[in-house]
Amino acid sequence: MEYRNTIYMSDLMSKKPVVAGAILRSIFLTAVCWFAASAAVVPCSAQDWIRTGTGLGVDKVRIAVPDFKQSTTDAKNAELLKTFDDTLFSDLDNAGIFDLVSKSFYPLEVPGSPTEVRFDAWVNPPVNASMLVFGDFGVTGSSLTVHGWLFDVKNSASPQVLGKQYTDQPTSDAARTIAHRFANEIIFRLGGGIAGIAESKIYFVSDRTGHKEIWVMDYDGANQHAVTHLGTISLSPRISPDGSRLAFSSLTKTSWEIKMFSVDLNRLVSFPSFGGTNLSPSWTPDGTKLAFSSSRAGDPNIYTVDAAGSGLHRLTTGKGPDVSPTWNRKTGAQLAFVSGRTGLPQIYTMEADGTNLQRVTDQGYAVSPNWSPNGQFLALAWFRKYGPGAPGANDIYLMDIASKQWVQLTHDGGRNDFPSWSPDGRHIVFQSSRSGSEQIWSMLADGTKLQQLTFGGRNSQPNWSWK
Amino acid sequence: MAPDTEIFFEHASLTKPLAWSTGLHIGFAVFVVLAAWILPRHAGSNWGAGGGGEAIGVALVSNIPLPATQAPTANVLANESKGLSKSQPQQQEKEPDAIPIPDKQTKNSKKPVVSASKQAKPEPEPESNEVPYGQGGPVSGPYGSFNVAGAKGGFGFTGGGGDFGIRFGWYVQVVQRKVSENWLKYEVDPRIQTANRVYVVFDITRAGQPTNVEVEQSSGVPSLDQSAVRAIQRIDTFGPLPPDYSGNKVSVEFWFDYKR
Repeated sequence: MEYRNTIYMSDLMSKKPVVAGAILRSIFLTAVCWFAASAAVVPCSAQDWIRTGTGLGVDKVRIAVPDFKQSTTDAKNAELLKTFDDTLFSDLDNAGIFDLVSKSFYPLEVPGSPTEVRFDAWVNPPVNASMLVFGDFGVTGSSLTVHGWLFDVKNSASPQVLGKQYTDQPTSDAARTIAHRFANEIIFRLGGGIAGIAESKIYFVSDRTGHKEIWVMDYDGANQHAVTHLGTISLSPRISPDGSRLAFSSLTKTSWEIKMFSVDLNRLVSFPSFGGTNLSPSWTPDGTKLAFSSSRAGDPNIYTVDAAGSGLHRLTTGKGPDVSPTWNRKTGAQLAFVSGRTGLPQIYTMEADGTNLQRVTDQGYAVSPNWSPNGQFLALAWFRKYGPGAPGANDIYLMDIASKQWVQLTHDGGRNDFPSWSPDGRHIVFQSSRSGSEQIWSMLADGTKLQQLTFGGRNSQPNWSWK
Repeated sequence: MAPDTEIFFEHASLTKPLAWSTGLHIGFAVFVVLAAWILPRHAGSNWGAGGGGEAIGVALVSNIPLPATQAPTANVLANESKGLSKSQPQQQEKEPDAIPIPDKQTKNSKKPVVSASKQAKPEPEPESNEVPYGQGGPVSGPYGSFNVAGAKGGFGFTGGGGDFGIRFGWYVQVVQRKVSENWLKYEVDPRIQTANRVYVVFDITRAGQPTNVEVEQSSGVPSLDQSAVRAIQRIDTFGPLPPDYSGNKVSVEFWFDYKR
């Protein structure tokens, strides 16, 4: 990979040797504490200190996820258990923060409850795990009960990090949902308070019904189904931060309009039409405003409007089309957008009132900016050496806003466009033609772990939900 | 030659020896020239051990025990900062808070937070002694220490009788990982190659938010200190403290080793 600069990426993804056994029992200190405490006749529950530092090998957690044990003998167990195990394993694998130990290394007996865990089997080679996920799974009558535990196997004195119980209907959808929820809990605990994305959704455009409609799917590509049935061309879906409304642009009989779809009511709700061509809506992180591009005054410019459609306000002036706005997801006080005022489209940023216009890209053909959830990066589709006979294609790039340093994420060909960040800031979903037709792909934010999510028809313009 | 100028009796004709002589001389000269051309060209380059011209190359001898040119870290004696062995001297004043016998029930509940901590603390302090030369390694023991790509470090879970580090090692790793990920080294002045270690202390609340971020011991490079503080301030949360943990917060001392 050509890294222009190793920013946060190398720290995030460097493969340094595993920090083994970093916890030593300070039995001496605990004993001393108790002696001192007993002398003072007060219990020793004190200010706790942790001392640690950089350079100690920032590593992915090595986690073992064996199959869950069957707790009942029901006919439906086997099939549901397989769905559950596969979903749990792939959720943890996709999280981007774990190093999953391959199942072929696991010992033969699988623990089903905390008393059955043999620590030495999991800590020592060949497994060498730091964390163990295990539990039991059983259908009794018309209910499915799952117990799951997350154990720190290097700490046999007090290993339990999580212990959860889930109950639901004995269907495969329920098994998948429970697996997603448990995986999210594990990712939340071990990933430093950032919620897992296993229950998030991706909205996208698909033409497999003959028209380009808005579709939705789970983050791993499961459960794909249509949301709109308008029979016309609908593009650039953007789900609101609370997940209740979907904004998109659609071709009506007269022009391109911004349409609002209510996910709760499962139908379109009213949204004013502004005249001209209105495209690419984008929500502020608090869900109160939309920014979009409108040519109602002649040249396409960026406008903002309330979520209900009132309070239209123009942000950009000047020649050249201004399209594809995206808000700063952390602060809601800045926008990035594409402008053709200098010729080829370039990315600009500006404050929420339109001031402080700054150019971010220096050359080529740059489109589709998408701001990362932590406010630090823009993902964009860039054709750096644009021109007849120029090598390379449209690739996804990451740019650090503060320092303007960029990193190329995709390399392997095809036209890659419309990146969208996941809510945990670790994954990017985008459209790519590398498989021959336009399909939705996802990857980790360092460009690894590419996965194709859609296979049929032509699928484009993905948008990851906010939670 | 004319017969009457013959002084010497020998009739020796000099032609043949002359021819031999000339031939051998020429042969010798040719040999010298050829030898200069054919023989290894770099024979002369060993002279003066390479470099050519006036430069004299020297070979590095790595087993001469010269002191390493690395920034000495954590020189506790010679700088003005508070030092590594961070005791909480300010808490010492609460010592005279004797336990009046009638109020034993009520006072005891508040005391654990304050007096027990420094009662237990003095015991570990004597171990936070010396920093092996040139390493600035972990100062209290027991600790885990190791070498990662030349950067030595370690972490110790000592401190006031708190056993947070023992029970919740996974949480400590989360803290360490998150802070390391959020440290943007390009914020440091680009002219700095290496620097002393900077120690930053902060608290983690019950909800997992870092608060009270302070530089405990400066590295001497203001931009490095600032980037370290910002790394922690950039973090919204580490995740809630483990529910099994009974305290309200945990204090963290985090060090940053900068190497360009």
